[in-house]
Amino acid sequence: MSIAVVTDSTSDLPVEIAKQHGITIVPLNVHIEDETFLDGVTISADEMYRRLPDQKVIPTTSAPSVGSFIEVYEKLGESHDEIISIHISSKLSLTHNSAVQAAADLNAKGAKVEVVDTEQASMALGWIAVQAAEKIASGGSLDEVVTLAKSASTRASFIGMVNTLEYLVRGGRIGKAQGFVGSLLRIRPILTLTEGVAHPAGRARNRTKGIARLKEMVAEASPLDKLAILYTTDKNDAEEIADAVAEYSQNGRPVVAQLGPVVGNYLGPGTLGLGLIRSE
Amino acid sequence: MPRSETRIPSGTSSRLTDMIRATTKAVEANRDTINALNVFPVPDGDTGTNMLLTLRSIVEALPTNSSESANSVSKSIARSALLGARGNSGLILAQYFKGLAQAIGDDTELTGEHFARSIRIASDSAYNALPNPVEGTMLTVYRECADVAEQAAVRNEELVSVLEAVAKEAIDSVRRTPDLLPVLAEAEVVDSGGFGFAVMLDGALRALRGEEPVGRIVVVPMPDGKNFTGSVKADFVDASEEIEWGYCTVFAIQAESLDIEIIRNHMAEIGRSPIVDGNAAEGIAKVHVHMEDPGSALSAGISYGELSNIEIANMDEQASDWASARRGSGSEIEATPATPVEIAVVAVAAGDGLNDLIISTGMGVTSVLEGGDTMNPSVADLLAAVEAAPSDQVILLPNNKNVLPAALEVPGLSSKDVRVIPTRSVQTGIAALLEFSTTLNLDDNESAMTTVVSDVGDGRVCKASRDVTVYGHDIKKGMAFATFDDKIVAVGREPLFVLTKMIEEHASQAEIITIYTGESLSQEQVDTTTESLSTKFENIEIEVVYGGQPHYEYLIAVE
Repeated sequence: MSIAVVTDSTSDLPVEIAKQHGITIVPLNVHIEDETFLDGVTISADEMYRRLPDQKVIPTTSAPSVGSFIEVYEKLGESHDEIISIHISSKLSLTHNSAVQAAADLNAKGAKVEVVDTEQASMALGWIAVQAAEKIASGGSLDEVVTLAKSASTRASFIGMVNTLEYLVRGGRIGKAQGFVGSLLRIRPILTLTEGVAHPAGRARNRTKGIARLKEMVAEASPLDKLAILYTTDKNDAEEIADAVAEYSQNGRPVVAQLGPVVGNYLGPGTLGLGLIRSE
Repeated sequence: MPRSETRIPSGTSSRLTDMIRATTKAVEANRDTINALNVFPVPDGDTGTNMLLTLRSIVEALPTNSSESANSVSKSIARSALLGARGNSGLILAQYFKGLAQAIGDDTELTGEHFARSIRIASDSAYNALPNPVEGTMLTVYRECADVAEQAAVRNEELVSVLEAVAKEAIDSVRRTPDLLPVLAEAEVVDSGGFGFAVMLDGALRALRGEEPVGRIVVVPMPDGKNFTGSVKADFVDASEEIEWGYCTVFAIQAESLDIEIIRNHMAEIGRSPIVDGNAAEGIAKVHVHMEDPGSALSAGISYGELSNIEIANMDEQASDWASARRGSGSEIEATPATPVEIAVVAVAAGDGLNDLIISTGMGVTSVLEGGDTMNPSVADLLAAVEAAPSDQVILLPNNKNVLPAALEVPGLSSKDVRVIPTRSVQTGIAALLEFSTTLNLDDNESAMTTVVSDVGDGRVCKASRDVTVYGHDIKKGMAFATFDDKIVAVGREPLFVLTKMIEEHASQAEIITIYTGESLSQEQVDTTTESLSTKFENIEIEVVYGGQPHYEYLIAVE
């Protein structure tokens, strides 16, 4: 018996971690004017953020097709008996929907593919996939792994401090953080995903205070199973946060990861964030 | 042009096509009124738009050759109505055109008798297309019109006389809809789709009689003895936003063979408000269904054939847009309290800029009570503002040392749970407001907001309007002086000079300084302030915003 783990590119899972745990990442699509890119494959995060502020036409994103999931599942089916496919909140993307349809198609032909809607994104999602892989490595059955992934979803948080809400608003993902919009004062909104949509988590008067708030939020969420510090463009700030909160990370210094083109398209340059899973 | 020339000739299909163009014009002219009545099954204000788009798709497909027979035209109309049907009302409207095609059958001309039969078929098939037909909607209007049309056709089979009787009955039938459907009575409106149908008949009749314009504004009938205003009642608007409506999903299925009944049952099983209709022989079905996940409706549909004309609308978004639009129009609605919220905030402030700043930062739950140094609101004023706030949990920001004592009386007098944050100035009030969170409970908000008050230093700069002694300093009339945490810290001729001195001596280690500029400063003075301070204090984040407050050239928050 072997079980394969699949997630999508909105997990922002660093390649080496995905490799280490044998996790397959299905990329979403990024559309910039007439061009279509595969998230993190044919367009890098740095390239995305370089282009993002100058776009006259707002980049859009789209879910992987049902066909691309079928292809991935079929390929994995050659070497695995079962598949768990773990995805971004279905309220933010149709990715989960595509995966469900692909799974239904293959399950009808006798395959065993389980799809999980984590109601999360970015490294909150990435860590859920990693925990699923760890569970498999320790001999968990598919049912056990699905249960674990669902439980981890409820303990996971994705928190982001953005420079501006502009990207979230124009991308139509402002959710319940609508109340942040329109302030005549310069503020740094801090957002989180709750029940799969953006919610307000605080406002900082400037970046320094916002960074301090992110560090506090790590302490408040501890004890933690997993912790990643996230950034779109400001790696140094993320490294500084990682050093400051290292004591809360279980396996040494927290992972520092870059938000990928799709997630970053909705948060924008200058974003700093956290992807974590609380301990049970 | 003499009226006789615009009269619609009988015999060929032009009479039918002109009537359809006329109904479209009539719906066009009354679209907003129809939209405004829309509360059932989902208050998303799109009935008029959906009917109009459905009619337009029919008009676009009309033959350009007017010599075609009514029979062949009506068949093409029925098909394009079904394919182009938008929303709930559009699909029920499509039933009417289906009725028309069937009633005309192989005849070449539209008669009064055809018309009567077409409404009967429309009524029967509309009731049939919905698994749970609801009275007080378009269905009732169809049925009652069919009854009247049949009687009228017996008396006089002229199309115009049947249409006259039906148009009158449609209005009367719409007037009675709130008696049959409680949600309409609750919202104090008549049925929107039924009214849309009455509007269509009005247009058709005017075209038939050669009256211009065909698309006139039709007065919305009001129930006898009721005092409806013609727009949706405010309470209803508020309540409707609370409900999760999901997605309205509409699509056509085309296949070699279809069983409409099976598809209808399938949709009724997986979604709400399903309407499924079609023509099994032609292999077309049109599906309308409400559900949380539009994908599952499409997946279900695709198991029967090829999908086309797919429309998915987020009804939560529509209902919310509709609610804001309803709130924004009509004086009656404006006078009623805002949408209920979990926790409301009441802040005291003077100055248009400060008012805007507080509202824009207030997460949609904050109201401003005018007041400040020279016009301290009374306990009664504060109490009234708290009572008017749209929640039983209210956070009160007095924003002034002299208002604080009155504010502290409010919790004992109000029936609501009121927490007073000791904000001694509007600057500290705004800092506290920035800590407010819609996701925290009242206790946690109170504690977070109170904590920040002591972290913010506040200063002010003003000019002495006469010779005064302030905190032991004699200040001559016309001189500017700065106070910081209730001490005079600088005196000088120019407000900017004393402001700069204040920052140098008391806030040079600050991280952020927010400066609210008063109503007496010109834009040029404001620009100079911004430029001068940002050059002088490179290490401090300085934000200069328009406060518009009286008396004070500058109010300063130091963090």
